[in-house]
This record gives sequence, C-alpha cells and structure tokens, in this order.
Amino acid sequence: MKTGIFICHCGHNIKHTIDVKKLSQYFKKYPGVTVAEDYPFVCSEPGQDMIRDSIEKQGLDRVLIASCTPSLHGELFKDLLKKSDLNPFLLRRVSIREHCSWVGDDLDINTEKARRLILAGLYSAAHYVPLEEKVVEVTKSALIVGGGVSGLSAAAFLSKMGMQVYLVEKEAELGGHVRALKDIWPARRDGKEIIDEMVEELTGKSNVEIFTSTTISAFEGFFGNYEVTLNTPKGEKKLTAGGVIVAAGFSPFDPRIKPELAYGKDKRIITTLDFERDSDSLSLPENPRIAILHCVGSRDEQIGKPYCSRVCCINALRVGDSIKEKYKDSYVESFYMDVRAHPRGGEEFFEDTQEKGVLFTRSNIAEIVPGSKGVLVRGEDTLFNEFFEREFDLVVLSIGMSPPVDNKLIATLFKITLDKDKFFLEAHIKLRPFDTAVKGIFIAGSCSGPKDIEESINHGRASAVKLYGFLNLGYAFVDPFISIVDPKRCSGCRMCEQACVAKAIKYDETKRIVHVEEAACMGCGLCNSTCPSSAVTLKGYADMIIDDEISALTEAI
Amino acid sequence: MVEVTNTKNTEIIGFACSFCTFKASEMAGSLRMKYPDGVKLIQVPCSSRVDPAFVIKAIFEGADGVFVAGCHPGDCHFIKGNYFTRRKMAALKEMFDVFSIKDKLRLFWVSAAEARRFVEKVTGMHNEIKEKKNAE
Repeated sequence: MKTGIFICHCGHNIKHTIDVKKLSQYFKKYPGVTVAEDYPFVCSEPGQDMIRDSIEKQGLDRVLIASCTPSLHGELFKDLLKKSDLNPFLLRRVSIREHCSWVGDDLDINTEKARRLILAGLYSAAHYVPLEEKVVEVTKSALIVGGGVSGLSAAAFLSKMGMQVYLVEKEAELGGHVRALKDIWPARRDGKEIIDEMVEELTGKSNVEIFTSTTISAFEGFFGNYEVTLNTPKGEKKLTAGGVIVAAGFSPFDPRIKPELAYGKDKRIITTLDFERDSDSLSLPENPRIAILHCVGSRDEQIGKPYCSRVCCINALRVGDSIKEKYKDSYVESFYMDVRAHPRGGEEFFEDTQEKGVLFTRSNIAEIVPGSKGVLVRGEDTLFNEFFEREFDLVVLSIGMSPPVDNKLIATLFKITLDKDKFFLEAHIKLRPFDTAVKGIFIAGSCSGPKDIEESINHGRASAVKLYGFLNLGYAFVDPFISIVDPKRCSGCRMCEQACVAKAIKYDETKRIVHVEEAACMGCGLCNSTCPSSAVTLKGYADMIIDDEISALTEAI
Repeated sequence: MVEVTNTKNTEIIGFACSFCTFKASEMAGSLRMKYPDGVKLIQVPCSSRVDPAFVIKAIFEGADGVFVAGCHPGDCHFIKGNYFTRRKMAALKEMFDVFSIKDKLRLFWVSAAEARRFVEKVTGMHNEIKEKKNAE
C-alpha cells in the first residue's frame, strides 16, 4: 500500500491550532505511508500540482487529504485524481478544520485529535477499492414550483435556452404577491404589468407547460429523472423532470399573532399589503393623522422571528411618501427600531420622506387601542425614555415575511431541509447559495429568506442557469455507493428485502438468495446493517471500513 | 510500576448521518462553536447504516460513550431510515441496560440547520459521562 497524506495549513486556519509539522513528521514514519507533506493551501494550483507529482512519481494508490470538510472542494480533488489516472474513490478526505482546529483552542489537544482523525482516515482508506461511476442519461426538462417573479424568471430563462419547462402554481393566477402590488418602488410600476410582461415571454412557447391551481402529490426518482405526479383541476398528471427549482415564495406575516396590535378588530388598522392593494378606498379625513409601525413580524425574538425581512422598511417609507403626496397637511409618524432602507437608493429615499415631513420616532409600541374618535397608540420613546399615547386616524403595520405556509410539506416532498426560521436551507451559504443538499433541486426567491423583487428575480435566474448547466450535459454521474450481495453468504432469509425502503432488493425464487437492483438502490446501507449473515455490503461504507475507523479513533489497533 | 491515573480523556464516538447531523457539525465548526475534543465523528450515509455491532465494538474498544445521530423523524433523506435506527437503538439500549451501560448510548436527532443543537447535545453528553467517570 502506498498512501500519500497531504495536510493543509489552510493559511492560518488550521496551522494556528494544529501543529501540522509535527503531524507530517509523525506520519512520514508510519508504515504504508509513502508521502506525508504539509502545505499552506492544498487546494491552490501549486498544491494540486504537488499532489499530482507525488501520485505520478511515487506511484501512490491512496490519497488522503486532511483539510477542510469533505463537502468543500470534494469535486476538485476527485477531478485531480482522475487527471492523474487514479480512481477518484481512492481519495479520502479528513476534516481537520471544521471538526478539529475550529472547535478547540488548545494546540496540543487539537494536534492529538487531528492525529487520531487522520489515523482513522488512513485505516479506513486501506480498505477502499476502485469504484466506477455510472453514467445515466438525464431528461432535459425542469419542474418549477411556484409562479411568482422568481419562478417566472427562471422559467423564462430555461425556455429561452430550449429546455422543457413545467411551471406549477397552486393559485389560479400566476404572479404571486407581486401581482397585487400597485406601485413598486423604485420603478414606480404596477405589479400586474410586470407580471403580464413576464407571462407573455412564456405564452405560446411550445416547450412551456403552465399548470395553475395545481399541487404536487408525489415526487420520486433521482437526479436527472425525477418522477412527478401533479394534482391538476383536470385530474392527475405524471411527468418526468430532470431537475427542480423550488420558488415557493413567502407568506405575509399575520399580525393577528400579536393580539396587542388589534389587527382585524378595526378597519382603521391595516397592513402595508392592504394599503398597497386598496389605498384609494380608505375613508380618511381632510388632514389625516397616520401612524406607521416598522418591524411587525421581524426582528422579534418573542414570536420566533429574529430575522430582518428587508422589504418592510422600504414599504413603510413608501406608505409615508404616498400619503404625504396625497394629503399635504397630513400628520404622518413612523415608529421604528432602526431603519434599514435596504435596496440601492433606499437611504436617499429615506431622507426624501423625512424632508417631505414624515416624522420618525424611535420607539417600542406596547399596544394599539381602537377608540370611538381614533386609534390610540401607546408606547415608549426609546430615545427620550418617555411613555407616550397618541391618537391616529389610521395605523399601518409594516409587516415582514414569513416562510411559505406549506414549507413543511414541500420540504418533506423534495427531502430538502429548513433552516431555524423555517425558510428553505441552501447547501452552503457562500459557496452554493442556490443549491439544496439534494442534487438537481434548487431554491429561488424569498422561500430561502426574505428578499425584495429585484433579488428574487436575480435568484430565480441564477438557479435557472445552475440547473441548465447541470442538465445541458445530457448525462450525469451517479454515486457508486450502492449495495452488493455476496451470493455465497446470503442465506435467503429476506430480512433485507423487508427493510429496503427503495424496494431495490429482489428475491430470486430459484436460487433462493436476494440481489440488488442497481438503478433503484439509494445507498442508505440499511440492508447492510440488517443482514445477519453479513452478505450485503454497501460500497464505500463496508463493515471493515467503519470497524477500522472505530478502532483508530479509540486507538485499540 | 507505572502509576495508574484517571486522567484519560473522555472519548465519545459519534455516528453522524451525512445529510443532517454531519452537515450540522460542519456548520458548528465553521461558526467556530466549541465542543469537547473527545467527541469524534464517523460519517455514515444514513443513521440506519449503523449496525448495533459498531456501537458494541466502539464500547468494547474503550469509548466512554457512543451516539447515533440522524435527521428528525419524517425528514429522512432515505424516507424512513431513521425509524429503523430508532427501533434498533431502542432494542440495543435494553440489552445495554442488562449490563448497566445504558447511559453510554445516546440517540438524537439534529437537522442540518441545527449547529447549536448539535453542540449542546454532544457537550451535554460528554460532560455527563465525564462526571460519572470521575466519580467512579
């Protein structure tokens, strides 16, 4: 066995709390280890060259890279091995950054832990065998869940590139929340116009199918060939999609959760969304007194919404601005915590509204009490530490964004995860912001966190580009981590057959043993741990691999 | 004679499902959250891959505690792998109870987003086992 160990300094990230020199010296003397090197950045060009050189000159047959976590740069190092004519499944990554140097501060303790982790990698890699990645054909079609701005922009891009697009919207009309908006800042355009323009791009295209009032009832298969069952008004429909973009949007925060705001009890207390939809029919006196509340349903730990919704400040400013435009002598007071006028030009717009005469009071609002003459707003001025009570003709609540109502359902359907605020979680916040943990399923728009319209459109297009890049190849590699059955050991007890969730294990009546259908196997390894005769083995996670890893970690070798 | 001291580190072996708990541990690392160095993880594709034999082996070879961690029930990437894990570990716990080593095995659910929960769980487990070990 000729193993090469490459230990990354990751600049100061690893070197700071792990004695990498000591480790490489230690492993140089280890039996079976041909090369043990430490290097500032193994992922850099010269770092990669060093590994390639070692593989070629020393004839390495196992490569162990101790650096960041396996999900980062995993493909990069796999490609590196492929280029050096070494099977990419003879690579072992050991995470000594996320699992060691960043979780402890003591140099000696961390070095010892890293040594153990590398040892475990070394012992398990000894059992690695070359595996073949299977190539499967992929269907060049995309399922887009949600017909809001991000879903529509994703669909427009994919249809332009000639890909089959299935757009599914649960409402009867496309457009999501944007359709209801009358005057979108800063373009000052009707939301319906924008939606109509986007829908027009899609109508009449032969490669676009739009399903409205439709839900997804089942979702099966794997990357490239997902089997989708739709529940349309005309009945059930089955289709095959290569990939999915989830653009489920958001739900407006319901202020009824906070009863002290008295929303829904009096028609003089409205939300910014109500105001946008229907600002003309408000029966206001000649010189109205209007209160605007910021951060309703955002930055509120008590109701479990600690995040900033980004769009509500600008919505609140828009309300103040439009009232000032209509009623010159109105009294408009904005109650805020901080003003985070988020998109470009927001700060200038904030100054404009101040100049137009909107009064800004930093405060905590305790309660809103509708009375016969007006609505009473009680609160504390947090700049002067004073309590106040003021009467208004209208109270506008600037509501934030909540995750879509059916987020749990969608997450379970596509097997993607939710973050702590119950929005959809991206695979990596910086390196893979559009991907989910499931290959071929992307997220777009405000279902992955509050976003304004511009950002949602960008997010939708970006996800579409990523998906296009995946599907346009026409083929994909499937991880070879599937189970195999040793026919000599199989006793035909059929326990694995009962356990297999994917129904990939089939019993052969004549031979009285089982076999695995490769295409159906998901690679969970349940059969492997169920089999009483150790006849089933999950490639890449064989019993002896994990056994030796345990031994190395407990140092009982 | 070599003096026998009780200063050996408390070692915890954790089997972490690569879709949820392993992701959470990566996130905990990149958020620079601290947890005891005795906690060491083994990545498995699904918590259902964990053969009870692995747990027994780890304890026989000197681990002070073993945990198996996966996705929350209903969120399993392999549909119901973690339900099988739950049953298997419940059975194993009963067996461990006979040998009075029930506390050495834990099963918990941590999703990919719950880095803090991961740190709380492993730190709690480590400290409890360490206290018990020191009291002996």
